[in-house]
Amino acid sequence: MFIDAMGLILADNKKITLGELSKPRALAAVPFGGRYRIIDYMLSDMVNSGIKSVGILTLNKYKSLMDHLGTGASWDLDRKNFGLHILPPYVNSESMGVDDADEMAGLLNFIRSNRSAYVIIANSNMILNTTFNDFVDKHEQSGADVSVMYNRDGIKYGVPNYIFEIDRKGYVKDMLFNPEKTVSNRCSLGIAVLRRELLIDLIADMIARGERNFGVHVLTKKFDTLHIRAHEYKGLVLRINNVQSYFNWTGMPIYTKVKDEAPALYLENSSVSNSILSDGCRIMGTVENSMLFRGVTVSRNSKIKNCVIMQDVHISENCELENVILDKNAVIRPGIKLVGHKDYPVVIGKGAIV
Amino acid sequence: MAKADVVAMILAGGQGARLGVLTKYIAKPAVPFGSRYRIIDFTLSNCANSGIETVGVLSQYQPLALNTYVGNGHPWDLDRNNGGAYILPPYQRSGRSDWYKGTANAIFQNKDFIDDCDPLYVLILSGDHIYKMNYARMLRDHISTKADATLAVLEVPWEEASRFGILNTGANDIISEFVEKPKKPESNLASMGVYIFTWEVLRKALIEDEENPGSSNDFGSNIVPMLLKQGKKLCAYRFSGYWKDVGTISSLWEANMDILDRPEDINLMDRSWRVYSRNPVKPSHYIADGATVINTAMTDGCQIFGSVEHSVLSNSVTIERGAVVKDSVLLPGVTVRAGAYLNKCIVGFDTIIGEGVRAGADVEGESPYLNTKICTNGIVVIERGLKIKDHSVIPPNCQVDCDKSVSAEKNVIEEVFRVRKT
Repeated sequence: MFIDAMGLILADNKKITLGELSKPRALAAVPFGGRYRIIDYMLSDMVNSGIKSVGILTLNKYKSLMDHLGTGASWDLDRKNFGLHILPPYVNSESMGVDDADEMAGLLNFIRSNRSAYVIIANSNMILNTTFNDFVDKHEQSGADVSVMYNRDGIKYGVPNYIFEIDRKGYVKDMLFNPEKTVSNRCSLGIAVLRRELLIDLIADMIARGERNFGVHVLTKKFDTLHIRAHEYKGLVLRINNVQSYFNWTGMPIYTKVKDEAPALYLENSSVSNSILSDGCRIMGTVENSMLFRGVTVSRNSKIKNCVIMQDVHISENCELENVILDKNAVIRPGIKLVGHKDYPVVIGKGAIV
Repeated sequence: MAKADVVAMILAGGQGARLGVLTKYIAKPAVPFGSRYRIIDFTLSNCANSGIETVGVLSQYQPLALNTYVGNGHPWDLDRNNGGAYILPPYQRSGRSDWYKGTANAIFQNKDFIDDCDPLYVLILSGDHIYKMNYARMLRDHISTKADATLAVLEVPWEEASRFGILNTGANDIISEFVEKPKKPESNLASMGVYIFTWEVLRKALIEDEENPGSSNDFGSNIVPMLLKQGKKLCAYRFSGYWKDVGTISSLWEANMDILDRPEDINLMDRSWRVYSRNPVKPSHYIADGATVINTAMTDGCQIFGSVEHSVLSNSVTIERGAVVKDSVLLPGVTVRAGAYLNKCIVGFDTIIGEGVRAGADVEGESPYLNTKICTNGIVVIERGLKIKDHSVIPPNCQVDCDKSVSAEKNVIEEVFRVRKT
């Protein structure tokens, strides 16, 4: 499991918004899969690869993310050497506000202070359970400047997507953003690896040229000056979309912040089918085709169908919810009926009382 | 070692022989309990929630599971620079070495540890009780009454009093006498095995007790009577609330069921007094289409396709389609294959119950596994790491133990596989 690499996770993605859910928090901190936040996957993938130094680049709304990550102890990243670093925008006396150039200056310092040979940069909208050892080895053998991961089922998840065109040797020769006509089905996973020194040079150069954006696809756009190798990933990937099929994955463990909730209790009169539930839930009503996060209460005679219900939501008696996403700490008063459409679910914001 | 006002010492070295195969490889405090806990979590969490930051865990019998579970004490906030969790096994010294002979001897052998912490008070606890208690309140009483020792007591029903160690008290709950399992109890105040001693007094008593060759070096039967005889001031501290000694199969089963039947008493949902545990790192649990789950507690990693009623499931339990589980306690990693029926069973780690197996309180048949010494009230106990043959029948009060020699045709064990011993 030895790997000579550090990780860099981009916690925000300006091209992706999840409405009410990403309003109060960074994309990476959006609750996912009953007991996780989206970032748990990429972070666990890195830790399971043997990476011991991870930087999390944030733009704004990072309070929720910081609460979740804490010292990094849940991922064994609370270390004297390296470990977890949250990199909020670097504001100094010369820069007035928060912009990406400052972000890049902070990033440059972080990468310079490391000593790994490689850096794995990843966006945080991909849910996959993998390790990066093979990815880094293949990159090293290939002699390419940058390797970038793609798979072939990305288009069905809709926009935003970056499509690669590659030459016969497997190098990127063109990259298109949300193309109208599909020229290729090679859809970027937003995960790249390159030598740390090269990344330092690239970022320094970008700062010098006054470029304000940094990201995986900002690097891969430089395909005419860099040798960028496209690496196909064949495992299962979810692009922040449906939340079902991953449960049966027999992969490496996915770590997350532990909440020390009591076990879930199913009381008399409860009826549950095809659902994922978490610790701390108390179920007295009916739950069908739904995902319940930690600490959710469903009271007597209430019926939940096709819902995603985040942590500590309280649903009172005699409620009926269908196709609803309820964010953290929401309270549904007795007798409320909420029905959304399958393709357009009702989203109730964090802490709302309905 | 940094100075601490109070040091907690958790007695966790006993075998717990009455739990049969459940404690074959692990000490009683490390036995899983209540879906997502181990028994010792309750005592450790009480310490954490009471603000006690120096905790010694005395381990002796099969310590691997207990030691790895407690580890550096992180889940209970006991990974500290000053204080924290200390595992204290018996040790060799120049000239001789001793196992812990009794509860008092275990503390005696660790008096250097306590001396280094230099506390005013020492809290003696058991690692095998299920209860939530604020030790800080008891300590406050101990200080304000200027007692030499304070013993936590529970009022038990008079008819059960003869099963406990009973404390007879006078005015202001000052203890006059300690009687172990009295035939005619004069009081219904049962000792809970929770003691606070002023360290100076206890230290002297331990040394005197050690010099007495006739002593069995036990807190209840030796130290407490000796202090009373010396005229020391021993006070009773009345505790009211849920408390259970899970020393037997039937009490362990009952306490598990209390989570379902008396959730308000055991109160695991109380966020101001959480019970902490080490996390297994598993995804949330899944209830399939067509599954039935009634009156059940379960936790991460479970997958339910069959029917579960009035049961307590630890992490990573799988119940296949058509299987029925009732009134049972399934420990981590158990698989119940299609069509199996379990009623009032306790099943050990990672055991696979074969297809169509029928086991439990209302199953008829005869079996060489019958063991009424360990199993009572119809409860069936199945050891860890076994594959139970398809369509086996296991009647009430059986203990399925792979070390028991049983004729080939009556043997219900298809395979014994090596499983984790933690």
